[in-house]
Amino acid sequence: MTAAAHVPNKRRWRGPKWGLAIPSFIWYILFFIAPIAIIVVYSFGTKDSSKLVPVDFSHLGFHNYSEVFSKLFFDVFSGTLKIAVFATFLCLIIGFPVAYFIAFKVSEKWRAILLGLVVIPSFTSFLIRTIAWRIPLSANGEFSKWLQDLGLISAPLDVLGTKTAVFLAIVYNYVGFMVLPMFVALDRIEGSLREASKDLGATRSSTFMSVTLPLSGPGVVAGIVLTFIPMCGDYVTATVLGGTKGLMVGALIDSQFRGAQNWPQGSAMAVLMIVMVLLSLVVGAALVWLARKLLRLGRPAIDAYRSRPRREPKPSRFPDLLQPLLGIWTFLVLLFLFIPIFLVIRHSFNGGPSFSVWSGKYSTVWWGGAPGRTASGIPMIGLFKFDEAGPMLVRFLVIIAIGILLPLIWRGIKGEPNRHLGRWSVLVAFVIAIVVNGLSTDWYLSIFQQAGVGAGLRGSFLAAFGATIISVVIGGLCGVALARHPGKWSTVMMALLFLILVTPEIMDAIALAGWMQRLGGPFNSDTLGIPFGMLRLWVGQSLYASAVVTLIVRARLAGLDGALEEAAGDLGAPPGRAFRQITLPLISSALIAGGLLSFTLCLDNTVISSLISGASSTFPVALISATKSEIKPFWGVGAVVLFVMTMALLAFVARVLKKSGSSSGEIAATLGGG
Amino acid sequence: MTKPNEPMRMLAPDSFRAVLSRRALFQLGGAAAGVAILAACGSDSSGGGAATTAGGGADTTAAGGTSDLLSQYSNVVNKASGNLAMFTWGDYNDPEIVGALADSTLGVTMKVDYYPSNEDLITKLAAANGTSGYDIVVPTGPYIPQMLQKGLLQKFDKTKLPNIVNVDPQYLSRDWDPTNDYSVCKDWGTTGWIYNKTVITTPITNWKEFMEATKGAGSGRTSWLDSSPNVVGPYFWQDGGDWNTEDTALLDACEKFLVDEIAPHIKSFDSYPSTAIAEGQYDLSMAWNGDARQAFARIADAGGNPEDWVWGIGGPLTELWMDNYCIPVGAPNVEGAHAWINWLLTPEVSIKDLLYHGYHSGMKDIDKLMAELAPDAPRVDMIFFPEDQVANMRTGEVNSAQDRHTAILDKMKVAAAG
Repeated sequence: MTAAAHVPNKRRWRGPKWGLAIPSFIWYILFFIAPIAIIVVYSFGTKDSSKLVPVDFSHLGFHNYSEVFSKLFFDVFSGTLKIAVFATFLCLIIGFPVAYFIAFKVSEKWRAILLGLVVIPSFTSFLIRTIAWRIPLSANGEFSKWLQDLGLISAPLDVLGTKTAVFLAIVYNYVGFMVLPMFVALDRIEGSLREASKDLGATRSSTFMSVTLPLSGPGVVAGIVLTFIPMCGDYVTATVLGGTKGLMVGALIDSQFRGAQNWPQGSAMAVLMIVMVLLSLVVGAALVWLARKLLRLGRPAIDAYRSRPRREPKPSRFPDLLQPLLGIWTFLVLLFLFIPIFLVIRHSFNGGPSFSVWSGKYSTVWWGGAPGRTASGIPMIGLFKFDEAGPMLVRFLVIIAIGILLPLIWRGIKGEPNRHLGRWSVLVAFVIAIVVNGLSTDWYLSIFQQAGVGAGLRGSFLAAFGATIISVVIGGLCGVALARHPGKWSTVMMALLFLILVTPEIMDAIALAGWMQRLGGPFNSDTLGIPFGMLRLWVGQSLYASAVVTLIVRARLAGLDGALEEAAGDLGAPPGRAFRQITLPLISSALIAGGLLSFTLCLDNTVISSLISGASSTFPVALISATKSEIKPFWGVGAVVLFVMTMALLAFVARVLKKSGSSSGEIAATLGGG
Repeated sequence: MTKPNEPMRMLAPDSFRAVLSRRALFQLGGAAAGVAILAACGSDSSGGGAATTAGGGADTTAAGGTSDLLSQYSNVVNKASGNLAMFTWGDYNDPEIVGALADSTLGVTMKVDYYPSNEDLITKLAAANGTSGYDIVVPTGPYIPQMLQKGLLQKFDKTKLPNIVNVDPQYLSRDWDPTNDYSVCKDWGTTGWIYNKTVITTPITNWKEFMEATKGAGSGRTSWLDSSPNVVGPYFWQDGGDWNTEDTALLDACEKFLVDEIAPHIKSFDSYPSTAIAEGQYDLSMAWNGDARQAFARIADAGGNPEDWVWGIGGPLTELWMDNYCIPVGAPNVEGAHAWINWLLTPEVSIKDLLYHGYHSGMKDIDKLMAELAPDAPRVDMIFFPEDQVANMRTGEVNSAQDRHTAILDKMKVAAAG
């Protein structure tokens, strides 16, 4: 995380420095520290499954900790660490060229498009994306059969339920979180610096090594932190794809609490996991520090080497190759990011009963036909065979083509283009094509009648919306306080935020479920028309999200001069007005970015939500429970609906930002959480 | 909402569908035929509770002359309203029953969540302590005393469950709830295995051979149930031993065997292997009989050959488990929960559900019911078992060994990761 810029200590703020952070402190003490403290106490107790809270406190001790250090559990810890370190490294290697390409090698317009493409997959339900990997990896799936037909493998794919599957999906799930912060950092490098370096005779590679790379440092660090921490606590990926071989600490802790009913051991493991994550970050930081130190010590030697007499560098063919290579790489990475999305969309039309097993047929009850009935009894031929992919594609393309041609024909006849036709005809044709092909039928028609899905979607949006408002308000205030009024308290707050980020979700979940039940009041019965389950979701989801918002706002303000607020203060503006008229506009983009990020995080929240709220309260809660049995295609439909609604929201925000005059790069960076 | 393929998947014979539609079973206020059966449900919409026993009337002959049998059952259907949330095992009810039929017949909108083990259920209920939001839960019998001790279940209002008389008395008054004040049998089943005979070429006929296959031909391609009694059970059953033993020496030996010898060969602990079998993940799976039965349909759905797969029932001893409908403390819709449980105890709904999940639903004279409603149901040998097989089935107990069982499964999971 970027360090706070030095802010002159001339404030007009009369309250304590941490005044703006008061809501955050109250919130975190009430809903994080207190419940988690209770759980930490559990870790010194003994399991007693006859009690409601299955912990016996009569013999307190460290026995749970020593048990975790037995070889068995220790192997899982080190295995997880290995996966997380390698996966983070891989994300870095995969992501850096992409971020570099987007930041320096493409036009402004393409930059926005490419960034959008990097961001979009992460707005699809995390859970469904992970589940979707079961499709290509399955031994009886098409992909496995293609590979066998090509002779690349002799036996069916055997990847599901192995470490490889977990590794693949984990890299997939987090690579976006690596690209964005790196892009933001690279994007901030003044082009003039790189120009200057080249003007001074530096080669491309030495410009890269001594200007670009060092300046991208903060972005790389942010990327590593953003990927490594959640990887360590990942529960979903390992559970959905891992089998026994892909067991990770997050899933192990979860099974301690749920399967084994061993809360003391579970919380001991959670505490150790937090320690493990913090330690590895410290080790990582130390390594970076050491490397810099060594580099500095070795500087004279390197300089001497660099300035050795050389032949005049020939204009090499390397640069010409670099750009297309980077472009191809970026394209491949984007393709990788979109594979599960395509599969989710296709399988939401699956004619078979299961999401993950492709039936080879599209679900094609004629639009408006009674669900459950096949198309009318009239025999159909050729293009009208409604359940075959080939004719369907033809129909689809024909209708789209008409949509494209229509404005051209209009122009041919009238002599001038019709703006509305140009804008809408393809879209309308697309919708018609979907309807005519019967694609939107069946699972789509029934989506809101499916037990759990419709209600889950509504619940997801309501919950994420409320939690986001809470997060933006308390996170925004706290972020301002951290950036503008730092002091001893900010160390405490930063430590707290960090703790919130690294605490495994299942631990939060167990802690909060018990705690909210104990708090009672609005948490146990509907108050003021707010269902208590919803209130619990707002609170539970806001913890992680508000921490993220806080850090984003702080980073944003730290990068801006405090002089404006100073000036307002000097000119006699009261703190409230200075905040409203100066600070708020300055952080608005960070608030939007933080809000969007927290919205998607809340939409994806699975573990906490499933334990604190009631039945099928949100989409992922219902979906994770559905993974316990056969996943029906309507889950894919739910994910698509969720995706479309999120995208609409995103488009709206992008439009608002565009109106406010930001460049496309800035917008994308904002949307991506920079 | 029924999908084109679902009839196939329900494994319901056509004859049963014909019977159902002929009787216009679920059409409230439908034409004369079958109305008598549901008279109660039509007229009893005031909710109330007390049984208006229907059936038996002379009208029933109009329904096709086959209803003498059904008229011997209580057929009360009480109306309810609002949402009804059930927390249950995976794929445990016919989607049509929890979907459209619950809506049209009872007037409730169902939400269903699933769990893979009793421990999972108990943790969720205990953590929420009365605020879980669920109206119906389905624990396995031996876990009921523990749940009562924790105060997680509430007493039935038995006046709202008049159809309880339809349950075969041998599935009532079990040790865990002798008066059935808190629980009533949903269904019962057993544990066995299903394997791909093209890969595992040596037939498996008992647990010992199952263990050998896990370590041998099925190594790395085998799933065991994700439920602690079920992983400990086979170790004791293979020699005809008592799986409820509390003898620590025996349990130590069991742990050593399972953790050291078995765990490294296991690909997944999976309580519902049927989908993953269809995807091609396993060649050998320990499975409950109903899920194994669904696997055959799913293999066919995925384009595989069900003939390659063999189902076997555990031996020399194996399990007999019974799951029960219960109402958790703090259930938001107690009225609806009673209405649902009572509805599922009507013979036709019970049999329709049975044909989906594939477990004996505990109705009295169930063979006659099947003969009338579903005479050509496929794979009934995986639902109903002859006396000599039932004689080898043992019910579980929850005793001091339970903690040990969960610890063993836990260690197996970790060892399997190795």
